[in-house]
Amino acid sequence: MCLRPKWISLTLVIAAVLAASFAQAQDKYRLKPGAAGKLCLSCHVDFGEKLKSKFIHTPVKTAECSGCHNPHTSNHGKLLSASMKTVCGTCHDKLIPSKPVSTHRVAADGDCVRCHDPHASDNKANLLRAGNALCFSCHPALGDSLAKIKFKHKPVEDGCLNCHDPHASGKSAHLLKSPMPELCVGCHRPDSPSFARQHLNYPVAKTNCVSCHNPHGSNTAGILFDTVHAPVASKRCSQCHGAPTSPTPFKTTRPGLELCRGCHNTMMNETFSKSRVHWPLLDQTGCMHCHEPHASTQKKLLRREEASLCGTCHQDTMEWQARLAEKEKQERAALKGRPEKGAFTHQPVQSGGCSSCHLPHASDNNHLMRQASVVEGCGACHDWLKHTSHPMGEKYTDSRNKNLKVDCLSCHRAHGTGNRYMIPFPTVTDLCIQCHKQFTR
Amino acid sequence: MGMIVALVGIVLCGMLNSPDAFGAERARLRHLTSIYFDEKGAGLKNPEGVACTDTSALVVGDTRNGRLLRYTVENRTVRPAGEIRAPQLSNPVRIQLNSKGDIFALDGKSRRIVRFGAGGEFTEFLSPESVPAPTTFIPRSFKIDRNDTRYILDVFSARVLVLGPDGKYQRQVEFPKEYGFFSDLAVDFKGAIFLLDSVRAAVLVAAKDAKTFTPLTQSLREHLSFPTYLTTDSRGVLYLVDENGAGIVMLGQDGSFLGRQLAMGWNEGLLYYPSQMCVSDKDEAFIADTGNSRVQVFSIVR
Repeated sequence: MCLRPKWISLTLVIAAVLAASFAQAQDKYRLKPGAAGKLCLSCHVDFGEKLKSKFIHTPVKTAECSGCHNPHTSNHGKLLSASMKTVCGTCHDKLIPSKPVSTHRVAADGDCVRCHDPHASDNKANLLRAGNALCFSCHPALGDSLAKIKFKHKPVEDGCLNCHDPHASGKSAHLLKSPMPELCVGCHRPDSPSFARQHLNYPVAKTNCVSCHNPHGSNTAGILFDTVHAPVASKRCSQCHGAPTSPTPFKTTRPGLELCRGCHNTMMNETFSKSRVHWPLLDQTGCMHCHEPHASTQKKLLRREEASLCGTCHQDTMEWQARLAEKEKQERAALKGRPEKGAFTHQPVQSGGCSSCHLPHASDNNHLMRQASVVEGCGACHDWLKHTSHPMGEKYTDSRNKNLKVDCLSCHRAHGTGNRYMIPFPTVTDLCIQCHKQFTR
Repeated sequence: MGMIVALVGIVLCGMLNSPDAFGAERARLRHLTSIYFDEKGAGLKNPEGVACTDTSALVVGDTRNGRLLRYTVENRTVRPAGEIRAPQLSNPVRIQLNSKGDIFALDGKSRRIVRFGAGGEFTEFLSPESVPAPTTFIPRSFKIDRNDTRYILDVFSARVLVLGPDGKYQRQVEFPKEYGFFSDLAVDFKGAIFLLDSVRAAVLVAAKDAKTFTPLTQSLREHLSFPTYLTTDSRGVLYLVDENGAGIVMLGQDGSFLGRQLAMGWNEGLLYYPSQMCVSDKDEAFIADTGNSRVQVFSIVR
């Protein structure tokens, strides 16, 4: 008991020492008052104007510039104390869920200033621009099409954020706040009589709405995608599916291409009479590999634009095209406006016109080419081949191989080679001496 | 001295345990000869099929000419041995031979497998018996192993059908749920079935009697462009024919990359859109060099 006063004294002494050291630490750098932020404004005077904005970022409002910036030196732009992703993430660390289903690229990259002003703005959430205008600054094609379409989807007009989370979604693809159809039935009540009538009493409440509808709006009533399959347009769902009251109403009446054959019999017969069929056509997915069964933004109900569609399987070709386009770009920049000779890439391939040369379903020719003769095929565009060129055609045998005739592909490759004129050798001389060996040096 | 012995021992152990050890060592393809003509001197036109046996028989699917050509291969010399033309076969794209010398050819137009006897006479269309539903099958490719068991890559019903030498159904292995497009299959000496996913540039495997396929490799895209044919040799080395990339990629039994051989071109030893490949026990490789309208013969140098 007699030790108690001693302990109390000792504790008080320790507390006093700690308090003194803390106070000393606080003043260690002998900082001037307001050094964390207010003082900055004495030099950054134009910043005062910024602070008159409607919405001011909290650290700016509380005058804590050093919350984000290092006042002395930094390895990051704008004297940020760390990378932008790290700095913003210090406070806003829950914008991207731990297991996102989809993530907005800019958010994942931590490029927050693409959308937000880190100091102040007249728009909510310190956004650079208000409403959809901000989204359309990066997605201009969508903005342009929405401005022109006839049938608009009200929530889209009101704001992209009605359906999309701008940072990431833990629930759905395409940054959707909820997966479909949950998102759609939030507004469109499937138990309403008009909904049931429009959908011919099919229980569509649990199906994929965007199989038919363009969620952004379209030029077709009911915001169906602009190319609509005839049975859908004429509301004859049962032409392909079971009755709405059947236990499996969405099951197709026949499997694979047998279903499509019901209407497209002539095309099918023509396809299967050819020597070569595009193999994916023959599995159970069949036509659906490339075509949408209900509606599409693309002509001929293609699932996507041609280059992307063909590239789904033929990634090697499309990746090669991307590399060639990049090479073309770099060399053009290096030429600084001087004229360039010979293309690296074939324009139809670059622009996704695979069907300019190939038949997508079937052909009697190699590589599903439209024309049996390579010279005729190329001549469809390059008509000068037919009157002024190196001798070509069935009469001329390739000196490298008696079974080959001289044609365009004797010297060029239609998908490009990485060399100008799409030749398989670095120089024209290297190419010519393949056959004209007497000129070999 | 003891340390040196220990080090040598460790290196040797490492070599023996590596996938490259002995059975699956890196190999090179050395060009021997090329086949351009039939016995009458008529040229081949875009041959897509080639099959060989260890008893010197070689059959070429001369696709654009709509015929089969027979050759014999002795002491690395190839001699024409006749032609087979049949109304049942207009577009031979894949060829296989069984142990009796019967010829099986997949017709690209009718998408049926046609069987010819050893004498070249038409025997039958391959029609699997007692196949469980769905009974419809569309063969994209097929293989016949040393026991004459037939393996059919049925792209319509997404499965590999295994049929006995008599054509009777034995079992099936379904495709996995996720895949790009299977262009070919191969069977090794242990009875394992390999599938080639052309779109994903990957190989899957089902061990003998396994009911499912599992990935053998990740995407091999860094080594090839668009593989469309797969075969194996008696040592278990897998050969992938890179049709768009004009090359041959070799893999060990564990899927390890062993190397890439050949390149695009017109001169002998180079390929232009190759199709089928056959490897004999004599370490000879026959490649249907479709774009160059010839079959090239290589020796495998190990």
